[in-house]
Amino acid sequence: MDFIDLSQLALSNQWRTKLRSSLTILGVVIGIGALTSMISFGVGMQKNITDAFSKNDLFTSLTVTAKNINLDDITSGNAAKIGEKLAGPSTVLNDSVVEKIKNIPKVILAFPDIRFPVKLRYKGKETSVSLSAIPKGMKDFYPFNKIKTGSFFSNDTAFEILLKEKVFKNMGFATNPSDTIKGLGKKTFIQPYDLINSEINIVSKDIDFRKIISNPLFIFKNPTREMPFKDTVIKFTIKGLIPEETEFGFDRFSNMAVIPIDASKRIPNLGFNNVWDLLKNNSEKESYGSIYVRVEDVKDITPVADSLRKAGFNVFAFSEQLKEIKRSFIIMDSLLGAIGVIALVVAALGIINTMLMSILERTREIGIMKSIGGSEGEIKMIFFVEASTIGIIGALFGIALGWVVTRVANVIMNTQLRPQGLPSIDLFSFPWWLILGSIAFSIVISLAAGLYPAIRAARIDPVKALRHD
Amino acid sequence: MEIICIENLTKIYKKGKVEVTALRDITLNINEGDYISIVGKSGSGKSTLLNIIGGLDHLSAGSLIVKGKDLNKINRKELADHRKFTVGMIFQSFNLIYSRTLSENITLALAFGGIKHKHRKLKANELLELVGLAERTDHKPSEISGGEAQRVAIARALANNPEIILADEPTGNLDSATSEEIISILKKLNKDQGKTIIMVTHDTEIAGSVSDRIITLKDGMIINNQK
Repeated sequence: MDFIDLSQLALSNQWRTKLRSSLTILGVVIGIGALTSMISFGVGMQKNITDAFSKNDLFTSLTVTAKNINLDDITSGNAAKIGEKLAGPSTVLNDSVVEKIKNIPKVILAFPDIRFPVKLRYKGKETSVSLSAIPKGMKDFYPFNKIKTGSFFSNDTAFEILLKEKVFKNMGFATNPSDTIKGLGKKTFIQPYDLINSEINIVSKDIDFRKIISNPLFIFKNPTREMPFKDTVIKFTIKGLIPEETEFGFDRFSNMAVIPIDASKRIPNLGFNNVWDLLKNNSEKESYGSIYVRVEDVKDITPVADSLRKAGFNVFAFSEQLKEIKRSFIIMDSLLGAIGVIALVVAALGIINTMLMSILERTREIGIMKSIGGSEGEIKMIFFVEASTIGIIGALFGIALGWVVTRVANVIMNTQLRPQGLPSIDLFSFPWWLILGSIAFSIVISLAAGLYPAIRAARIDPVKALRHD
Repeated sequence: MEIICIENLTKIYKKGKVEVTALRDITLNINEGDYISIVGKSGSGKSTLLNIIGGLDHLSAGSLIVKGKDLNKINRKELADHRKFTVGMIFQSFNLIYSRTLSENITLALAFGGIKHKHRKLKANELLELVGLAERTDHKPSEISGGEAQRVAIARALANNPEIILADEPTGNLDSATSEEIISILKKLNKDQGKTIIMVTHDTEIAGSVSDRIITLKDGMIINNQK
């Protein structure tokens, strides 16, 4: 009995009981299919997220904030602790701090997080956006390194703006011909390319001190119901279109409008990001909420973060969360895998059942094989290989099933996403180790399932077996 | 030259708490090239003795030495080799594998005997030719008569060229004409190839016509051992 004999015997015996074998194999197919598609989903999610992270350079960037207020303290309502923190010496994030950070070795970019709401007015139509400001250095980084229509700003003081096409959709323009008939009225179609170098108005609000002086009690006595704000309109030139999100959609610069950092200082605005800013004392008025820092390499994060912490800043770096993220992925993958493993264990019980049935049916045959010289080892191997062929065939078809399921699920997912205007993504990943791993796992499971029946077959008493009908 | 030496062989079956003695103090020597018939009523222990010699069953006490090997002292692997190479068994009910062709029934035995793939088909054909079934290699056992099936069983028993043929009621299911054919094949193997043949039968007439010696068993004991 060599391996060829064993596999020939196994396959011919499977063929003899086609229906039963195929049902058992189907069990394995479903088990492996479930396992591979589940793990494929887990791996796919991980891949999508880590890809998006590295694409957005999250692993090489960190955010510096002034005060080290622990989120846990806030959520736990420990007011005393928060008060302690607020009362303690605080560092202010201002331009000189930004300059200092820039001088730290390995830091290639540092700029404050500036964003404020404005209205954009183009050809008589308006929309509100959150405008953010970045330095020219961002040119080399995602998504600004992917600008296809137009280009990046020429310098940090230019009155130039980068926009997403969506801005114009929000204004009520159509950016592709098929959208023009949608809705009630006919939309005006604009060619994205034509937007480049055309002018757009940024309308920002500022407190109108004259109005407050002329009517200090405006809140109570305000016959015109006019708020003490004034609008400032500044012309900007559209330089380029920021590509729409292609990944998971959480890129840091998801803002739809971006202008050069120094130009932003020329736009009068209410000057606060949130209500906290209103409560700041004067010395903090000219400060920023946070500073964005980019380093050369992932390994530079820790030294840079440490030196910033020593200087009394609070630092948040994604790469430092990587361990945590990886751990949560392992947990997710194991949960997904567990579902697949359960399916496979059920399939293994099916194999055991089928093999035991088959041994019962073939008791006499086993007796005959023993009487013509089959050793216990050989009989064992015959049934062992038979069980493993179920596993191998099941694994091959199971992987095919898993692949088909993930493809179908992906198509369904994406048809759901598309009408919402979201870019299509691949939710699943089918790496080679998953394919080989599931084949190996299936063989191991089927061998384990075949072990007991095989031993039982080998132990059959030939004298009794030959009397068996 | 003695090929089988049996000394005080006892076989006890345990059925729950009840012990049944199937063979009691059997002492028997069989020479190479002998044609031995074992006769006796059913339940006398003749098939049990044959199964023990064939290595399918174990003895409870005494010793059984076949070709110098004590079957009670060898391991399972050696016992399997004993069944492969030393003895060939033939049964009343033929015991062919019904899902396989005649040729495949024999190649299976050849496979157990470690014969290489490329030689098996040829060897199987030779063996079937020897028993006069060269034309029917690809038939299934269900498509042939009882006499033909027993001839296939003989061919299979010869597959790994054993020196001893153990036949358990080989003619029990056959009519007298077919029985004679089978017996003559066995006799021919005994005469021409020098095979030692031990045949269990209850047909004393057949036993008398062909055997060198007839051993009569009763209640597990030899009551007669005559030339």
